[in-house]
Amino acid sequence: MTTPMSTMKWLIRRELWEHKGAFFWAPLIVAAVLVLLFGGGFLYAIIANPSFHVQVKGEEVLAVNGLPPAVLAKLAAAAASSYLVITAPLFFVLPVVVFFYCMAALYDDRRDRSILFWKSLPMSDAQTVLSKVATALLVAPLATMAIGFAASLILLVIGLLGGAIKGINLIAPVLANVDFYLAPVYLLSFLPLYILWALPTVGWLLLVSSWAKSRVFLWAVGAPLVALAILAWFDFLAGRFAGVSMNVKWFGEEIVARVLLGVFPGIWFGEVDGAALAQQQAGLDGPLLLGTSYATLGTPGVWIAAAAGCAMIYGAIRLRRWRDEG
Amino acid sequence: MSAVISARGLTKRYGKRVAVDGIDFEIAAGRIVGLIGPNGSGKTTTLKAALGLITFEGELSVLDLDPRTQRDELMKDVCFIADVAILPRWLRVKDAVDFVAGVHPRFDRSKAERYIAHTKLTPTMKVKEMSKGMIVQLHLALVMAIDARLLVLDEPTLGLDIIYRKQFYQNLLEDYFDEHKTIVITTHQVEEVEHILTDLLFIRDGKIALAASMDEIGERYVEVMVAGDKVAAARALQPIDERTVFGKSVMLFDALRAGGLSRTQLAALGEVRNPSVADLFVATMKGTYA
Repeated sequence: MTTPMSTMKWLIRRELWEHKGAFFWAPLIVAAVLVLLFGGGFLYAIIANPSFHVQVKGEEVLAVNGLPPAVLAKLAAAAASSYLVITAPLFFVLPVVVFFYCMAALYDDRRDRSILFWKSLPMSDAQTVLSKVATALLVAPLATMAIGFAASLILLVIGLLGGAIKGINLIAPVLANVDFYLAPVYLLSFLPLYILWALPTVGWLLLVSSWAKSRVFLWAVGAPLVALAILAWFDFLAGRFAGVSMNVKWFGEEIVARVLLGVFPGIWFGEVDGAALAQQQAGLDGPLLLGTSYATLGTPGVWIAAAAGCAMIYGAIRLRRWRDEG
Repeated sequence: MSAVISARGLTKRYGKRVAVDGIDFEIAAGRIVGLIGPNGSGKTTTLKAALGLITFEGELSVLDLDPRTQRDELMKDVCFIADVAILPRWLRVKDAVDFVAGVHPRFDRSKAERYIAHTKLTPTMKVKEMSKGMIVQLHLALVMAIDARLLVLDEPTLGLDIIYRKQFYQNLLEDYFDEHKTIVITTHQVEEVEHILTDLLFIRDGKIALAASMDEIGERYVEVMVAGDKVAAARALQPIDERTVFGKSVMLFDALRAGGLSRTQLAALGEVRNPSVADLFVATMKGTYA
């Protein structure tokens, strides 16, 4: 049976066949490097140093008999709430992968003419484009989160076991800490926000990918930057000779940044008052981070940009339908 | 049942250039039609219009659907190989079969696997590891396993060696074709398809130069190997083409054009036979390259 859902499943599978390297191997390799670097380094430190030093605010607190209970509790809380932070580099790889994926998504098969093979099969251009949107906004972040979670767990286990060997047994307090179980839930809760913020960038890149005859990167990145430069120059001249000023900063932040940087996780922190977040102690405060992040939805900008992203995706579908591939 | 493809005043302009110039034609079900014309004559453009790949002016219906607005519906019953189409380099044989089986309700997996078994393709092979001919073999195996009501083949055998080409057309006729299906083929290797065609559509400068069934063509066009002493008499009957083979004149006559030439009349001039499609094509297109 073929249904729209099953066709979508196959279309997404097709994207994964084509981009297995970018979506799985790239984060896997980065995760492996992290595990080797941090895990290996930690193990080496344990083996190499007979006495283990823990410094809290510059003072050595480690005693032969272990840590004072208060410090122990603090350490356990930090480990339980922040163990996912160690995989942050993965979330720098993700936007790069998604960015280049979107630029290629509707261009590569036009360049090598395999589009005519795909178009000979019963699937609509809307399905094709939406499968690429779903791959960029759901599959890629979920894969990165899953790999990040797995790598974090491995590192946490190494850390806890290493600590236990050295007499700092945090295993029980970490496992008893509810944050340990909630951390992946918090991480997952960022996904809807990420999708909203990434929509304008994904839409813009797919539009250019669907439209450009060549040099997708130049159009996708160059066009907004050149527009910004021209506007800035015009503003400079207008301000100097006519005493008029345009809001170039607004154009840069609301248009250029949104269509180019939206795929970076945490881009929304640019709109957040940092003071509240700086108060965190003993690891990350998941609910606080989520709360302040989702508070950015209170401004209309992100919604308008997401709507514009959807409009550009629609444009990409129309272009895909009617572009004459010769 | 109405025509599978029906065009009325079909026109396609690229800027000022008219690629297809208001053509009318009909293709009935259960036919194998050769769409034949020189490069740039508009045949690929006509097919692209029928497949909903480009916009056009005029009327065109395919399986009673408008390819512009009902393409998604249309593609359930139509399959095609475009002349420039190629499979993506990263695609594996087994993934290609899985994918088409997953998205196409009329795909017969066992049939595709049977075709593939006759080639040197292996399931884990990627397109980038294949020769040009192997890529075409995979593409044909996939398409031939789709039970489409209309199959459009635009130069389907480019890059294939002659043994596989013969095999392909044999399969097409014996294994694929039946009275409910319609096949439209364009190719430069006319001599390889002429024995399977039921209809001919010659296209020249965006216009239909000839549209007839092979039976009509057999009745209408006659080639005569004119005896040496009758050349002048034969020329008086206004042959549409004349060439010399081993010192003998071979003339092509259009029985309709000369106003009632009969075979017996022509037989008096020399040996009579049916012209090949290639010769007929050359005669019809005379002056195109001049």
